[in-house]
Amino acid sequence: MEEKTWVRMVTAQTPTNIAVIKYWGKRDETLILPVNDSISVTLDPAHLCTTTTVAVSPSFDQDRMWLNGKEFSLSGGRYQNCLREIRARACDVQDEEKGIKIAKKDWEKLNVHVASYNNFPTAAGLASSAAGFACLVFALAKLMNAKEDNSELSAIARQGSGSACRSLFGGFVKWNMGKAEDGSDSLAVQLVDEKHWDELVIIIAVVSSRQKETSSTTGMRDSVETSLLLEHRAKEVVPKRTKQMEEAIKNRDFGSFAQLACADSNQFHAVCLDTCPPIFYMNDTSHRIISCVEKWNRSEESPQVAYTFDAGPNAVLIARNRKAATQLLQKLLFCFPPNSDADLNSYVIGDKSILKDAGIEDMKDVEALSPPPEIKNAERSKGEVSYFICTKPGRGPVLLSDESQALLHPETGLPK
Amino acid sequence: MAEKTWVRMVTAQTPTNIAVIKYWGKRDETLILPVNDSISITLDPAHLCTITTVAVSPSFDQDRMWLNGKEISLSGGRYQNCLREIRARACEVEDKEKGIKIAKNDWEKLHVHVASYNNFPTAAGLASSAAGFACLVFALAKLMKAREDNSELSAIARQGSGSACRSLFGGFVKWIMGKAEDGSDSLAVQLVDEKHWDELVIIIAVVSSRQKETSSTTGMRDSVETSLLLQHRAKEVVPKRIKQMEEAIKNRDFGSFAQLTCADSNQFHAVCLDTCPPIFYMNDTSHRIISCVEKWNCSEGTPQVAYTFDAGPNAVLIAHNRKAATQLLQKLLFCFPPSSDADLNSYVIGDKSILKDAGIEDIKDVEALPPPPEIKGAQRCKGDVSYFICTKPGRGPDLLFDESLALLHPETGLPK
Repeated sequence: MEEKTWVRMVTAQTPTNIAVIKYWGKRDETLILPVNDSISVTLDPAHLCTTTTVAVSPSFDQDRMWLNGKEFSLSGGRYQNCLREIRARACDVQDEEKGIKIAKKDWEKLNVHVASYNNFPTAAGLASSAAGFACLVFALAKLMNAKEDNSELSAIARQGSGSACRSLFGGFVKWNMGKAEDGSDSLAVQLVDEKHWDELVIIIAVVSSRQKETSSTTGMRDSVETSLLLEHRAKEVVPKRTKQMEEAIKNRDFGSFAQLACADSNQFHAVCLDTCPPIFYMNDTSHRIISCVEKWNRSEESPQVAYTFDAGPNAVLIARNRKAATQLLQKLLFCFPPNSDADLNSYVIGDKSILKDAGIEDMKDVEALSPPPEIKNAERSKGEVSYFICTKPGRGPVLLSDESQALLHPETGLPK
Repeated sequence: MAEKTWVRMVTAQTPTNIAVIKYWGKRDETLILPVNDSISITLDPAHLCTITTVAVSPSFDQDRMWLNGKEISLSGGRYQNCLREIRARACEVEDKEKGIKIAKNDWEKLHVHVASYNNFPTAAGLASSAAGFACLVFALAKLMKAREDNSELSAIARQGSGSACRSLFGGFVKWIMGKAEDGSDSLAVQLVDEKHWDELVIIIAVVSSRQKETSSTTGMRDSVETSLLLQHRAKEVVPKRIKQMEEAIKNRDFGSFAQLTCADSNQFHAVCLDTCPPIFYMNDTSHRIISCVEKWNCSEGTPQVAYTFDAGPNAVLIAHNRKAATQLLQKLLFCFPPSSDADLNSYVIGDKSILKDAGIEDIKDVEALPPPPEIKGAQRCKGDVSYFICTKPGRGPDLLFDESLALLHPETGLPK
């Protein structure tokens, strides 16, 4: 008589994050150790997140993974690192209800199935590896009953993708670069939680792009090897900025926050330009967005919006408060209206209630918007932005106990 | 009976120049003293130049200037500096044929008329102040019989516009930053003349631009005040690059020349991006041109073309030799064909013989060009480039003796 097999499964949801003091450049490629500290804001997983189900069963004959429904290989070094590190920390698991008993030493003989899903288009150039690896590590840790706290888990997620370590917490997070050769002290800590500065509103402009971008991994390696400005940035500029940014966040000093975030985004892109061959992540639309924001900020007594760009043309705009965000959205919709055939409902997504605050119910209201007074001869550049996402700072990883949200079938352990 | 009055007139022609190691940032705004050395290549005045006629007469009751036919004010500090410095060096002039005798101390009581003309569209963002001030100073020096050599004159032209000092020589020129407080040692010297490396062919892509650019004067001041990377560039990077560039030019080492030129152009633009507010001189078309060149250079193993961009989106492409230039033009015309209604004769100007080498006689030949094999999925971006200018390294300033070339009437001293 065949022994009844079992499947143990856990589903987790992880947010993504955007760096406001940027990580660009490794001092160790294998362990993914950076040349400077970085600081990020975690985005609300209600709008942007990765959901990952991990399952273990004696019936699985190999480790397998599915990403957005498509099977992927787990043989790459980064996945192997994460799996190995978590397995080394696995502990006894006992689920009397299901009759599952796994001893610590059993784990190395068991295989896992992983299914992961992003709730936003992958081609958007947002939050790919970060949320993904953080979720994988967090979910596996729960599955295997590892005892490590989120900072210790972040050191493992880091080995999957550097910026993933910062997705192990909500609010504002710092990735300490660390000093140890083995990277054991290169991990993320939470600076403040998501309630500390919950006035902030974040609008992401997903910018249409013809170019295929240079991968971050290749790009930052080229920068380390060829940019004569990178080391100066890492040794002289970032340490000071990191301290100032921590102060600004602690004190909710938006003026300083904005100045630092914009300056660091620009300097990161400056280092990309100083690379051989040069890397251009921002395009003309990105520049126009920056120009809009700079002009508005200067016309007001103090900055209303901070901007930051990662390794792509998308703009992450952080507004001081709801009122500023509403005005920002009006200015952005004037400057970057949708194509004539677009549907407003899919042009502004995430927290759509901001449209109501802005007095915008349909396309007619977008067409009727007035030009921002601080921009002389403001032009309307249709179709340059694919869509906008409205969100805010958010919480860290959580387990989802609702079985309907699991991505694997509870009996087969295969994708639903 | 009215005394017969006289007009003494001189016409000069000056080339423009493009920096290959960039000047960006002043240590003294009034004297226009830079924070680092710079090196430039002088372009052939047959294709790009300023012609200036200067005249002096007791019948002139004030200093007046006409630029491209339009009267402009000479009251600005930069013009006043140049006029004052040359007047201080004026000497006796005797022209027996015309019955003109000017004593040294007469000059301060005499007024001048200046008419200047650029042989290329001003809106092109090329060679504006540099050629203009160099020509003004050179012509006035000849008019007033100043004894200074071209290096000493360059120190005066420098006070009109920094990069103007480099237009006092042909070939490759270095502007030595100098150490003296009064700027007396901040001047240009010729590294090699225009025959030294006459294989080089230069193609300028005049890029269509919607933006009004930040002026160099404002831009570099903002950079000095706000870029945390500029000092490092000026103190650590440029001094080494200057030495390496001088060697490369001396030895006609195109590989090194290209690597340094491209790197320095990119670093200049990186510093602009690192400025507050950030300055974007290059646009998507500029980036596409760089991408074309980088891909070709990489596929050949040794660079064929160097690129450099000033404070605007125009690309200055320096090809190794005629053959490389011809291939480059074919690739550029594939990637950046003219608008359908354009005339080939005005799309490629300057030395048009290169079209023949490229086998291109009319628009049909442009349409038939094959895609560059090194660019996957090469696109044709119609209308992104306004036109191309083909030129080469050229000589320094010269007097023009042909009276028909003078811009002022020999008897009235007014524009023709």
